[in-house]
Amino acid sequence: MEALERALRWAEENLKVDYIELRYEDLRKTTLGLKDGVFTSFTGKLNRGIAIRVLANGAWGFSSTSDLANLEKKIEEAYKLAKAAATTKRERIELAEVKPVEDFVKSRMKVRPEETDIDEKVNHLRELERLLKEDEAVKSVQVRYEDGGGRKLLLTNEGMRIEWDYNYLYQGVYVTGKANGKLAMARDSIGAVDYGWELMTDHEPNEKVTERLLRKMHSQLKGIAPRRGEFPIVAGPIVVGIIAHEALGHLAEADLTINSPFKDLIGKRIAPEYVTMSERHVEGGFGNDRYDDEGVPVRDIRIIENGVLKGIMLNREYAHRWNMEPNGHARAESYRYPPIIRMRNTVFEPGDHSLEELIEDIKFGYYVVDFRGGQAQLNSAFQVGVQEGYVIRNGEIAEPIRDTSITGVAIEALKKISAVGNDFGLEVGFCGKGQTAFVSSGGPHMKFEGGILIG
Amino acid sequence: MENLIRFGGKFFDELEIAVYRSRDVSASVELNEISMASSRSGAVTVIRGIKDKRLGLAVIDSDEPERIREAIEQAAKMAKLNSPDENWVSLPEPEEYRRKVKPNYELKDVSPDALVEKLVRGIKLAREKDENLIVAGGEGGVGWEESRILNSHGIDISQEGGAAFFFLEFVGRKKGIVTPGIFDFDARRNLNLDVEGVVERAVQKVRWAYNVEKSRNEEVPVILGPWAIAGLLSYALFPAFSGERLIKGTTPLADRTGERIASEVLTIYDDPFHPLAIEPIIADGEGVPTRKNVLIEKGIFKSFVWDNYWGRIHGTGSTGNGKRDTGSGGVNIGFHSMVIEKGNRTLEDVVGEIKRGYLVDGFQGAHSSNPDNGNFAVTANPAFLIEDGEVKGASVFLIAGNIYDILKEASEVTREQTVMPFMTTMITPHVKFENVRIAGK
Repeated sequence: MEALERALRWAEENLKVDYIELRYEDLRKTTLGLKDGVFTSFTGKLNRGIAIRVLANGAWGFSSTSDLANLEKKIEEAYKLAKAAATTKRERIELAEVKPVEDFVKSRMKVRPEETDIDEKVNHLRELERLLKEDEAVKSVQVRYEDGGGRKLLLTNEGMRIEWDYNYLYQGVYVTGKANGKLAMARDSIGAVDYGWELMTDHEPNEKVTERLLRKMHSQLKGIAPRRGEFPIVAGPIVVGIIAHEALGHLAEADLTINSPFKDLIGKRIAPEYVTMSERHVEGGFGNDRYDDEGVPVRDIRIIENGVLKGIMLNREYAHRWNMEPNGHARAESYRYPPIIRMRNTVFEPGDHSLEELIEDIKFGYYVVDFRGGQAQLNSAFQVGVQEGYVIRNGEIAEPIRDTSITGVAIEALKKISAVGNDFGLEVGFCGKGQTAFVSSGGPHMKFEGGILIG
Repeated sequence: MENLIRFGGKFFDELEIAVYRSRDVSASVELNEISMASSRSGAVTVIRGIKDKRLGLAVIDSDEPERIREAIEQAAKMAKLNSPDENWVSLPEPEEYRRKVKPNYELKDVSPDALVEKLVRGIKLAREKDENLIVAGGEGGVGWEESRILNSHGIDISQEGGAAFFFLEFVGRKKGIVTPGIFDFDARRNLNLDVEGVVERAVQKVRWAYNVEKSRNEEVPVILGPWAIAGLLSYALFPAFSGERLIKGTTPLADRTGERIASEVLTIYDDPFHPLAIEPIIADGEGVPTRKNVLIEKGIFKSFVWDNYWGRIHGTGSTGNGKRDTGSGGVNIGFHSMVIEKGNRTLEDVVGEIKRGYLVDGFQGAHSSNPDNGNFAVTANPAFLIEDGEVKGASVFLIAGNIYDILKEASEVTREQTVMPFMTTMITPHVKFENVRIAGK
């Protein structure tokens, strides 16, 4: 901390900067990759480095390095980069004011991953593989586990001094199954920043993960190709979540809003009144934090409130540009990247209906439960691969479907939501926007009377 | 570094040290302006050690000898905790390399000013050509990497080189129409990035996108552009060439060597020495010499690719396709520069003959494809309707099918090849497929 303070003082005295931010990380990580009985990665990682962001002459310069010697020189490099970027700038970048914070963010984990013996981690993964392979159809299992922990520091020339006791863990599983000459793949992911090893033992034990994966895999092995076209669709929490994240959430990231249809829709009705979508703290959410990487406290936002488009996600730069309050959405993957506007936990809020009520009057339609990859365009056109789905026939869930995807334009599909379930589910994952962020998405079951094409 | 290998001998039967030093400089664009200039420098060292068939790995953000020692000890600790892998044979032995391609040292210390100039020129040009267009994003960057891979069997190979890239994303707004984000890009081993070409191609696509044409359910010829090809093949086809999948029985290409799996217009190979390749490496991530590996020749499936681990288990040896994952430290089977052989005619000629069909620039959802069986279901967007030999406007539609069915329908590849530096690096022409069933919107 002392070296960072010294470098910051030097920069204030010697460079003409509007803003300077230093982010230091010192993390110890463990990565285990188990592929069909063999640990192909069994890795200890030490990630240490510093990110320097400078606002000078109204433009940003950024520099990152793992070499901690000569910090002053690195700051000067970022300063020169800002000046290079500023040469063509017509509009100066300014930042919304925030109150400087001095704080220490304690971990909420009960058992930090570093406190769990590596033997226990190894046994846990092996047991998961064994449970999966008890099913004869399973041909290949791949598990990737990672945890990390250590110190993150944020210092700015405005007086921010935040230290995090930062920890996370994640597990991703891929299963390939074969039956009657058909191959199918299923995936599952769990992760947390607030739960420690208790995630694996209490919240998501191996039996639960196995049950989910086998259900998804068998639904595809037994699945039939769906009819192509527009039918009533009931989407489960995980699919509702991916639509919230991919097709709508990205449009509400201020840097993207400006080029999206959301730009002209703020304050307007875009969905029925029983539809509300939030970006908020969720128990067990992978995107939870107290402050963002600019030191701004993370606040809950209603993106859609009772059908009206209300809030967007901001960093300090865009908050100033839009004359709004920053709300804690500037996030950086690591010291190698500058913070950009990102989602955290994006969810639709529950309504009044039971799943039975959503399904009972559908003569023919589809129930989509889980996805395999999703993507969207800035006009909210989305495409989501379905890894678990079923036919709905005469008000009942019938045979499974396979290798299909749903597609639509989210701002059109929103208008076709005819009922919102009273339950809630969440899935954790990673969002890529040039850099990776831990995120969650979810919601209740929802019924779409149209607006989504299956095929 | 040899000292460190000796030091590691205390802990391991076999040891590999891979050091990567890199420097990247880039400038990015947001809303018609340069938003930030960045530099990133640093070193990563990966230790892979084996003791009694137990693997241990360590990754550190440093190339300092003291910290590498620390990492060797960390890897030794990990190996002790790991269980033995009875399939383990050994790390690679030294082999003859071909001559290195001379790197372009101009890229080693590029000033951000050079990149800012190119981006500003691109933005200005684009706005002059179309005032309804916003340059929503973009980036120009140069990456330089120096690596050294050595192991206790005597492999010691150093390589260096760099590449430059440039892309712009446009969004057009006209008469209530907001086009999807439209990209174009260039990547090469020198700084002569084709700014004018990128702008010209992207502006053309935006112009087409101002006119929205409804698609319908039909069976038509479809031309896939480089971005669409790279997306679809990277996820639905290329994993099937992995030797690991052959051993595990999760590739649909098992027992099909020598069989026709695609139309004869398609020849696909992995070739780091292709003149357009942006990373002409002579050694892969574990120091094995790279080579040209032909995967499909005139439609016939030729061979799988291997890294050291799976190649030794199979008995064929590595084909130089070990790719280092500096995140986990492990090595996986991967590709260097996938090439689709070019044809004789231009894209314009091919489009000119189509009565009714589509030109697809990009696919959404290609990453949800299933490489185990080749099934895919993707949305073509941006995509353009062709009628009577001319592009009429933008369209969006679904294509669901199987990659091996569609490969058999390839009827022509164009003369121009483009480098796609994203996902798997690809050098590819446009490819025309016949009788593609699409679901219109």
